[in-house]
Amino acid sequence: MPPETTLPLETVGATATIAIDRVLCTGHGICAHVLPDQVSLDEWGYPILDDTTAELAAARAAARLCPARAIRLRTPG
Amino acid sequence: MNRTDVAPSGLLAALSEAGLTGRGGAAFATARKVEAAHRHGAQLIVNACDGEIGAAKDGWVIEHHLVELVAGARLVAPDARRIRYAAKRDSATAQRLRAAGLPVLEVPDRYVSSEETALISLAHNGLARPLTKGEPFVQGGRDSHGRRIEPSVVLNAETVWRVAQIADRGPRWFRAHGTPAEPGPRLVAISGAVPRPGVLETEAGMPLRTLLAAAGGLADGAEVIGVSGLSGVLLPRAAATGMRWDSGDLGRFGGSIGPGILHVWDPARCPVEHVDDLLQYAAGQSAGQCGPCMFGLPAIAADWHALSTAQDSRAADARLERRIDLLPGRGACRFPDGIARFAASARSLLADHLADHAAGRCPHRDRSNHAA
Amino acid sequence: MSNELLWYLSRATGIASIVLLTAVVVLGVVTAGRRDPRAERATVVMALHRWLSLGMLSFLLVHIGTAILETYVAIDVISLLVPFTSDYATVWVGLGTLAFDILLAIIATSMLRHRLPERLWRLVHWGAYAMWPLGLIHGIMLATSDQPLLAATTIASGGVGAAAIAWRVTSSYADRDRRRAVLTEQWS
Repeated sequence: MPPETTLPLETVGATATIAIDRVLCTGHGICAHVLPDQVSLDEWGYPILDDTTAELAAARAAARLCPARAIRLRTPG
Repeated sequence: MNRTDVAPSGLLAALSEAGLTGRGGAAFATARKVEAAHRHGAQLIVNACDGEIGAAKDGWVIEHHLVELVAGARLVAPDARRIRYAAKRDSATAQRLRAAGLPVLEVPDRYVSSEETALISLAHNGLARPLTKGEPFVQGGRDSHGRRIEPSVVLNAETVWRVAQIADRGPRWFRAHGTPAEPGPRLVAISGAVPRPGVLETEAGMPLRTLLAAAGGLADGAEVIGVSGLSGVLLPRAAATGMRWDSGDLGRFGGSIGPGILHVWDPARCPVEHVDDLLQYAAGQSAGQCGPCMFGLPAIAADWHALSTAQDSRAADARLERRIDLLPGRGACRFPDGIARFAASARSLLADHLADHAAGRCPHRDRSNHAA
Repeated sequence: MSNELLWYLSRATGIASIVLLTAVVVLGVVTAGRRDPRAERATVVMALHRWLSLGMLSFLLVHIGTAILETYVAIDVISLLVPFTSDYATVWVGLGTLAFDILLAIIATSMLRHRLPERLWRLVHWGAYAMWPLGLIHGIMLATSDQPLLAATTIASGGVGAAAIAWRVTSSYADRDRRRAVLTEQWS
């Protein structure tokens, strides 16, 4: 399965599974701001994944905005 | 079943029926790994690094069963050019492999360098540091930075030896040893405060006191027994003598059979200080790739040191507990998970001793002072 | 559209482009050079960096399009992409073309980042440190003496950008320091 797939139509309620590449992650913390229900930051600014499922649009934004390209998505199906 | 006549499908059926699992610690089903290796034409790296603290069985297999090991490797990777034997640079194991004319992958002497994906990285002319795991590398893939990784599979030396044995003697022989959940003969390296340290052949379910007796018994005053080195747990002497060497009993202490290591701690040494040294060592062994590890491990080591030296012990203990909980699953490899397991076990087992340290006492120091 | 209007539009959008480009570079440098404890601020900087780069691209396309269309100076369509092909100010226009080529590569690889090897993206993105000075020199050398404001704005942008880059070279943060320290150990 490719790391980030594109669905031809965005449906309301579509979700994605988030994974973090820990080697690429350098602690920018943007994912925690874009996905507050799924990601919190530890005392050094690195992400804690509280929940790996997120609404698709927000998950895509997190993946796009991560400066280190450390957010990978798996869209269902 | 003559091992040179075994057809691939026959081998897979035999391995599956035998229930062989990886002997390097992760205990993954070997039949599935070998099947995937065959399907993708994967290169094989035989892990003979003895990377864990107190490990010795990989070197023992190379020393005593090299011919069978090589036969086993050929069963996993029929093309001999696709096999390499990983061993620590300047180790006796590496020398033996070279003397036998086998291709050696020389591994730097660092704790995480013998991790599965660290070996794969090294085999691709990269650094011996773990890779982020996406799809299994048996099918090939890319590392985090997009570098191409060829189909590669890593198997522990003992596991590969067992593959050859199963092909030769059949799965029923294998299952005649051990337990239904953890079948087959197993090696265990026993070291530390015992008269006769060494590598023994045993099996899951063996009473721990039998293993320790085979090494000559516990030294007087030995109170702590370490299982699986830095990634394992500590057992108290009293419990150890009554339990079995299997993941069920070891699981009650948060551990598992792992890579077959038992180390009896030196009774003359304060265990709290011993843990202090080990956590400092662990902090310096981070591959420096993942934030939670490269900052979390030194922080935990500092917290334990504060407990050891009675510096604001209550706050340090609270920090230690919180930080231990945040280590697992947040690195590219399981090194921080192992340290979390080890530190949690030590904190639990040595709770009374830590309380003494918090009050500025140490039972070991007091004992030796009184003796002086 | 009269030739004179095209000429003025080209220069106006050119100045806008260099100012916006400098802003984009500074935003990128700030993201790379530190770790902001406030995630909200880091998000805004990153979003602005991406958003402004596309805004800058539109100004740039008008700048290039009007420069090609107007007949006062001889610049043909080929000079959009192939450097050093214009009759007018071959070298200085060429530097602009070269900067534009690098920019296209940066934008394309950024939009396709998740489908490309990360090391390729990084290599191309480092090209920004060549693209930006090329654009600056292009702007300074082609500003005519009767409009000192254009040259002044370009030079001021250069100063701001240079300060940001100097800060980037000397700054550090815990993650980078620790990674570098570990890399000095024996890993192969």
